[in-house]
Amino acid sequence: MSEIITTEGVPLKVSLKRAERINKIRALVLVLPLTLFIIITFVIPIIAMLTRSIDDKQINTVLPKTFEIYKQWDRKQLPSEEMYATIFNEIMTADKRAIGKASTRMNYSKSGWKSLIKKSKRKFKKIKEGPYKEKMIAIDKKWGKIEYWKAIGEMVDPYTFGYFLNAVDLKYDSNKKIVQQPEKRRIYNYTWYKTLKISVLVTLFCLILGYPISYLLATLPLKYSNLLMIFVLLPFWTSLLVRTVSWIIILMRKGVFNSILVWAGIIADENRMQLIYNETGTLIAMTQILLPFMVLPLYSVMKTIPPSYMRAALNLGAHPMHAFYRIYMPQTVPGISAGGLLVFVLAIGYFITPELVGGADGQLIGHWIAYHLKSTLNWGLCAALGTILLVVMLTLYWAYNKIVGIENIKLG
Amino acid sequence: MALPTYTTTGQRIGYYTYLFYCGLVFFFLIAPIFMIVPLSFNQSPFFGFTPEMLRLEPEAFSLRWYRQMLGICRPDDIITTVCTNKWMIGTKNSFIIGLSATFLATALGTTAALGLSRPHMPFKAAVMALLISPMIVPLIITAAGIFFFYAKFGLVGTYTGLILAHTALGTPFVVITVTATLTGFDTNLIRASQSLGAGTMKTFFKVVMPLILPGVISGALFAFITSFDEVVVVLFLGSVEQQTIPRQMWSGIRQEISPVILCMATCLVALSITLLTAVELLRRRSERLRGIKLR
Amino acid sequence: MIKSIKVVLLTLVSMAFVATAYADFTFVSWGGAYTMSQQKGYIDTWGPVKNGSTKVSVENYNGGLGEVKAQVEAGNVTWDVVDVLPVDVINGCDEGLLEEIDTSGWQKSPDGTSFNDSIVENGTGASGPISECAVPQIFWTYVIIFDPKNFSGKKPTTMKDFFDVKKFPGKRGVHTWPQAVLEMALVADGVEPTKVNSVLQGDGGTDRAFAKLEDLKGHVVHWSAGAQPLELVSSGEVVMSIVYNGRAGAAILSEGASLDYVWEGQVLDADWVGIPKGSKNKAEAIEFLKHATTCASQAEQAKYITYMPMRQCGTDIIAKNEPWFHTGIDVLPHMPDTEERLKKSVFTDPVWWADHNAELKEQWSAWMAGNK
Repeated sequence: MSEIITTEGVPLKVSLKRAERINKIRALVLVLPLTLFIIITFVIPIIAMLTRSIDDKQINTVLPKTFEIYKQWDRKQLPSEEMYATIFNEIMTADKRAIGKASTRMNYSKSGWKSLIKKSKRKFKKIKEGPYKEKMIAIDKKWGKIEYWKAIGEMVDPYTFGYFLNAVDLKYDSNKKIVQQPEKRRIYNYTWYKTLKISVLVTLFCLILGYPISYLLATLPLKYSNLLMIFVLLPFWTSLLVRTVSWIIILMRKGVFNSILVWAGIIADENRMQLIYNETGTLIAMTQILLPFMVLPLYSVMKTIPPSYMRAALNLGAHPMHAFYRIYMPQTVPGISAGGLLVFVLAIGYFITPELVGGADGQLIGHWIAYHLKSTLNWGLCAALGTILLVVMLTLYWAYNKIVGIENIKLG
Repeated sequence: MALPTYTTTGQRIGYYTYLFYCGLVFFFLIAPIFMIVPLSFNQSPFFGFTPEMLRLEPEAFSLRWYRQMLGICRPDDIITTVCTNKWMIGTKNSFIIGLSATFLATALGTTAALGLSRPHMPFKAAVMALLISPMIVPLIITAAGIFFFYAKFGLVGTYTGLILAHTALGTPFVVITVTATLTGFDTNLIRASQSLGAGTMKTFFKVVMPLILPGVISGALFAFITSFDEVVVVLFLGSVEQQTIPRQMWSGIRQEISPVILCMATCLVALSITLLTAVELLRRRSERLRGIKLR
Repeated sequence: MIKSIKVVLLTLVSMAFVATAYADFTFVSWGGAYTMSQQKGYIDTWGPVKNGSTKVSVENYNGGLGEVKAQVEAGNVTWDVVDVLPVDVINGCDEGLLEEIDTSGWQKSPDGTSFNDSIVENGTGASGPISECAVPQIFWTYVIIFDPKNFSGKKPTTMKDFFDVKKFPGKRGVHTWPQAVLEMALVADGVEPTKVNSVLQGDGGTDRAFAKLEDLKGHVVHWSAGAQPLELVSSGEVVMSIVYNGRAGAAILSEGASLDYVWEGQVLDADWVGIPKGSKNKAEAIEFLKHATTCASQAEQAKYITYMPMRQCGTDIIAKNEPWFHTGIDVLPHMPDTEERLKKSVFTDPVWWADHNAELKEQWSAWMAGNK
């Protein structure tokens, strides 16, 4: 079998391959700038954050010798004179800023370390020579309490899962065994639960409210549906904060909604309802804000379903409800899953609206991420919380991609 | 949509109940947005309709909060509100950051979309997933990650940092809308142009660009509104000089709830109506240009 | 079409260049009436501002050291003076995020007391600044307010009344973080205000406070922003609320709001001012702070807000010149620091809170979660 040769004398197969390669390269060159941009300004920062969640090096560079000796300690009675002498020297010689940071880190595992180190750094100057143990305990009796010593056990290694444990209400004990946090400090699991609960409820509400209107939009003649579409698109384009402010004004005790009810005589003036700064307010505001994200995918799916299917079913004698349930609904599942996923994922990471209208109930997981980032400066825990949230998210997307395909996301 | 004559009374009632329900949902969607408009003209410093307003007495309405928003203060304005031009500074910042980010996002996003729509693009799904990832990662994580990373390079509290972050957040929208415009794009047009002697650049600007322009512009508008509306990243990354409108509204709601916020909100609603109209017109134009019949 | 895009792009580029001009000195504080009092009290009266040689740009933040830390670590410090809480002063100084300020030689009181000694009590039981990194600003307090119109018979007068939902039915407004709430609970539980800190910090102290808080369970509306409690009280959503006294003072004195205080068991806290490490205008900032902490500036600020000067000499000026408030009303009745009120108040202990803040915030959040 003879090969087909092009005019340049190259076999056609080779020539075609080369052309295809050039085309591939051209396509890649076009995509490259944005890909690099996204990797540098977005992907790397997020990966870097993930590494923060297990990084515990800082403290090890401040108190390296102490931790060496610590590894031999039996953790049953107070440490030896040697350990006291080592930590004394390391505190005295350490850079002020480094020891400040270290004490902040130590304080995460046992409240009190922070002021102990600070106070000691000042008072240690009086101690000229050993034995250090008694003198240190004389300065502050916390040095003589074994729980403080035990608490730094979790910091022995330069990498730690301690932050992840904290993020789910667990911790290391002094022997690096995983134990539960004391009951009164358990808050993160509850927060995860609350975040999930609110996200699920919001998704559900969006579906209940969004499905019928998507159907209406998809079945009405174009001139009406285009008009009604504005009702969905305008909120989509309106600032999140604008809508949050409106909800505050509407739902306040002396706000519009309560006033209308009072004016209509449905409730008495003194029985105005508490609709904001609690879970109710959060749910109402978030549902309205996220509803367009449910309607738009649903609508675009419903638009593609030929009305003839339903007509055929009705013609064949199916009850309208039955026909709807058996014929129409199954075809909208891609829309339901796309909208559901979008709303759920947006809701789970929501921060602004719950923070403003949620009161105490507004402390979802985003609140704690921001709190540790801005207030306690416990960036390890902040990163751990973020990482868990991200993993949940990516798992959902992965599942969605398997089932529906990520490129099917449509806008407007 | 009239009902066929053979519908039973039960079905009629069902249908009208359904329409009523839909009406309520539409009301739920739109009412909060328009509620604030009349309230922003309130004379009193409260967030409710005063009896005078309901009676439509002209004294109940005033432009005093708009005046404050513009930074024009009179001695008779209540002493507890600080008279500043922070809203004007916020507006300026929002536009600087928003427009710069839009420009970058549009340039990068359009180029990438052109590559992605080529039939020979390898790893298409993976690249697409990567490029739209800024849209799907929760903002709070993006903000935290960017905060830690940009802090290392001194980008926290700079316009550059915010513009880069907002560009990243805006590109997925450009990629998606431009790719959508390019599906159904007739590649024969390119070949025709090239066979008639036009170079690559000429073909792009004279043939491709006019056709995909509506998609590019609506992508740009999406990118703009994303940046214009964004507050979490600004909250973490922006320093005092980069206070944008949403950032001012955020601290306004938390610290000193004043009706000036409602004036700003009203302006933002007007802006969103404008942008929505623009996008809608562009979409129709695009469909017409590409020969797709209007739905 | 392409032409019009070119025009837009050109405009964009030119706008970006206009944007780079900003103020040469940045003062960061909490916003609202408080920032206004600082503006009128000592920013507008500062020489270089008056003669126009310097512009002080006043900005708001929500507290915490996150921004300062990021700026210092990045080596790009854009804040010059920042108003901080005691806890943050201590942490910030420990971690080297704030500049040390040498206040020897700063303005003495008229009676000859040195600058540092004119701060009689800084909240830790000692006098003088709380740390080398901060200079005095004001004392403020968490206090209970109520609307007398909502009480036809007896009105609440003590912290016990705030915790007694049988005697005074109705919801209570409480903030969403634990500071001050625990101290108040101990006062309500019968601890002498002056002994609250030692009880709280002793064994079982926090447990006792949380046990007392059970009395309020189911009767609390939480607020997270300073403007909310006033709304809560005036709208009747709660019958009493914890509030920043300055917010209440401004509402009463400037807007004539119908509010009254329960001073017993108030929890005093402070605000200090510091300079972020590496501020580009450090010398200027120090000159500014010297002016901001004079007796006269301290008193001047109290014309616009009911937070009390930290330096005794400031309070003395006010006492001599009543009515001092800018609307022509006596301001001392709204100040937390009359001798009689101080006897029944708690000073919150910033050192202890710096240690226990994160832990107690978690515990408090767990309490709030169970408070349905």
